[in-house]
Amino acid sequence: MNFLRQFLALLRMNLAGIPQRTGAVLTVVVGVMCAVGVLVSMLSMSTGARRQALGDVRADRVALTPIGSRGSENSITREQAQAALDLPYVDRGSDGKPLVLLQSTVPIEGRRRESGARIIFPLTGVSPNVTDYYPEMQLTQGRMFTAGLHELVVSRACSQFVGFDVNDKRTLRGIDWTIVGRFTQGSLQQCRVYADVDTLMTTLTRNSYSGVTVRLRSAGDYPAFARAVAANPGLKLEAIPERQLVEEDMKRFTALLNFVSLFVGTIMAIAATLGAVNSLYAIVDARRGELATLRAIGFGQGAILASVLCESVLLAVPGALLGSALAWLLFNRMAVSPFGFTFELAVTPSLAVLGIEWALIMGVAGGLLPALRAARVPLTEALRAT
Amino acid sequence: MTAAAPFATVCDGDFIRARHVLVKYLPLIWSGIWRKPGRTILIFLQVAVAFVLFGVLAGMKSGIDHAVAAARADLLLVHSSVALFGTNLPLGDLERIRSVPGVRQVEPVELFGTTYQKPDQFVGVVAIPPDNGWQDAFTYHIAPAYLAAFSSTRTGALVREELARKYHWKIGDRIPLLSAITKKDGSTDWAFEIVGTYTDSDLGGGRDVIIINYTFYDEARLSGTGTVNHFNLLISDPKLAVGIADEIDRRFANSSNETRTESLRELAQAELQAIGDLNFLVRAVIAAVLMALLFATATMMMQSIRERIPELGVLKTIGFSDQMVFLLILCEATLVFVLAGAFGLALANLVFPWAARFVPGLSMPAAIVVAGLAAAAILALISTAVPATLAARLKVVTALRAR
Repeated sequence: MNFLRQFLALLRMNLAGIPQRTGAVLTVVVGVMCAVGVLVSMLSMSTGARRQALGDVRADRVALTPIGSRGSENSITREQAQAALDLPYVDRGSDGKPLVLLQSTVPIEGRRRESGARIIFPLTGVSPNVTDYYPEMQLTQGRMFTAGLHELVVSRACSQFVGFDVNDKRTLRGIDWTIVGRFTQGSLQQCRVYADVDTLMTTLTRNSYSGVTVRLRSAGDYPAFARAVAANPGLKLEAIPERQLVEEDMKRFTALLNFVSLFVGTIMAIAATLGAVNSLYAIVDARRGELATLRAIGFGQGAILASVLCESVLLAVPGALLGSALAWLLFNRMAVSPFGFTFELAVTPSLAVLGIEWALIMGVAGGLLPALRAARVPLTEALRAT
Repeated sequence: MTAAAPFATVCDGDFIRARHVLVKYLPLIWSGIWRKPGRTILIFLQVAVAFVLFGVLAGMKSGIDHAVAAARADLLLVHSSVALFGTNLPLGDLERIRSVPGVRQVEPVELFGTTYQKPDQFVGVVAIPPDNGWQDAFTYHIAPAYLAAFSSTRTGALVREELARKYHWKIGDRIPLLSAITKKDGSTDWAFEIVGTYTDSDLGGGRDVIIINYTFYDEARLSGTGTVNHFNLLISDPKLAVGIADEIDRRFANSSNETRTESLRELAQAELQAIGDLNFLVRAVIAAVLMALLFATATMMMQSIRERIPELGVLKTIGFSDQMVFLLILCEATLVFVLAGAFGLALANLVFPWAARFVPGLSMPAAIVVAGLAAAAILALISTAVPATLAARLKVVTALRAR
């Protein structure tokens, strides 16, 4: 109880002294602010990328992939796709047919509108039930492609960045394809082009689909559906939820971003901690006489140690809040497209919490040595000081 | 005595005097630095850590620029104009490409993806017919013994050294790979025998890659027989690259397999432009680092000078001029900062081999070292300018009274 009273009295004294030590105090705050600001801004890349990729994922959509294989370059034969149509638990579209989306994807390239730089994006052949399958897909201009014709519909990003406009023609394998419509699809920010899957496969002389996905009647049907797929020996496919597929896909990308962020953040944090140690030493040194007097009138070493440590942490936390706020002001919702993947940076509350956790570590690590020195000031110092 | 002699004596005198001054004041500067060893070491470490970051970030950028310049301009890739991946060219195009003047060698290349044991352990496969001298049209370095083994083993594979280390593969191992490509027997399990290892100087080559025999692969696969992803071309003179590329694309224009021909350097440029979007972030980070550092050191210097006022008063009493005091303080700070900056850059250099696993082509040219040291010196000058001016303006009486 005594310890707590002493500790609180000392802490109040420390905090009251802040105005006289603006330089040293600001060093701690600014150092932590910069370190946390950099960490949070850099991590906002992978958070933003993940949020973008998972934005439109629905639990009732399941991909059928060859067993053990991943990615968009699968090969699923027409027989396998036909068998998928007869699977149980699959939802029905407006035409009464099973909601199985057949896809064949080919990466095509275009030039960026402003810079002329090359950009590669997917041209996906899809079965005509695509608008049923993706309810979030909205045509904003023109119309849908007609099955059997060489027609394309493009996402909004295509006309924004790559200069694909309605009524333009693009040549593919010596054949003219007309862009007949423009669409938005949920939070999709990438350029994506859809065409009729059978027409595209004929043009590319392909014989197998690169992807087959199904929509279940409800997300809860997934375990039963997965069992039904596994129990069908002729199918040779496995059912993977859309979310899992996207997560696995993102893992490689975000692992790189996270590594770079944490590497830079750690170095910044070390520099900020060293700065804090230096500033707090200066504060303690300037107060040697005072601290010795406090010891002489009966304040315990433990209470002094705890009060300096606590002061350090209390200085670090506002730094973290400022850093997160600055990152949010400067970078939140800023659109970037590293590696051709467009997304908005996202500074989220959970990142701010992470920043505060780091600040606590910096505060404790930075305050420990100065606090020990403060607690060890010899009593004789009080008598010598005048 | 000649006429030039007195002049030489004067010069010598100046030189000796200058050296004398330096030798005279160095101990003073040195003792100033070590007045509070704990504080100096902390500032030193702080500056050093900041310059580790500076070195790594700047090295990343220069590494990328360097990699583009080093990419081979005499190797061209002919691929389908539709896309780099996924759409193939017929093998029969080879002769028509070979007949373009300036083309020395054409090698067909097929690419496909596989996984090893787990779905997330990706292994890229490059299939190449093992003709005599095929490796001249690639950026690979392969020992002659491995080359011979590769051309005589139909199911043989050359494994990139880093990949072999990753999975502890040894020569003679048989590696099973799962692929989306169906074999004639209906299975998608492929297996290759490791006959050697290789290294690749190309930045875009990929780390987890093996090279296999195209002839074997083309015969074994169910569909797509007789097609390739692209052709690798060796041309006689890199200066002719643009003309040759245009000529090839013109020959295949309006056919059902239009081509697009690019040099490895152009591809590297396009690939790295994508990373270029991150440059603003790198710059922002460097700015934040230097800002935080400046703030910390400036307050530290201020504090330090305040504590030393009586000492400075003594210096002035025994005859040091205001300018001299000013210079002494600047020298102290600059010496610490530049040494710490050099230490930090050296540390960054040590980190490079480790960081190269994640970011290829890190390098630190002299320009960055110079820029880093200059930044350290400027940082020192800015953070001490105000306290040093205060110190220079001190009145002896006031300073001594502060005791």
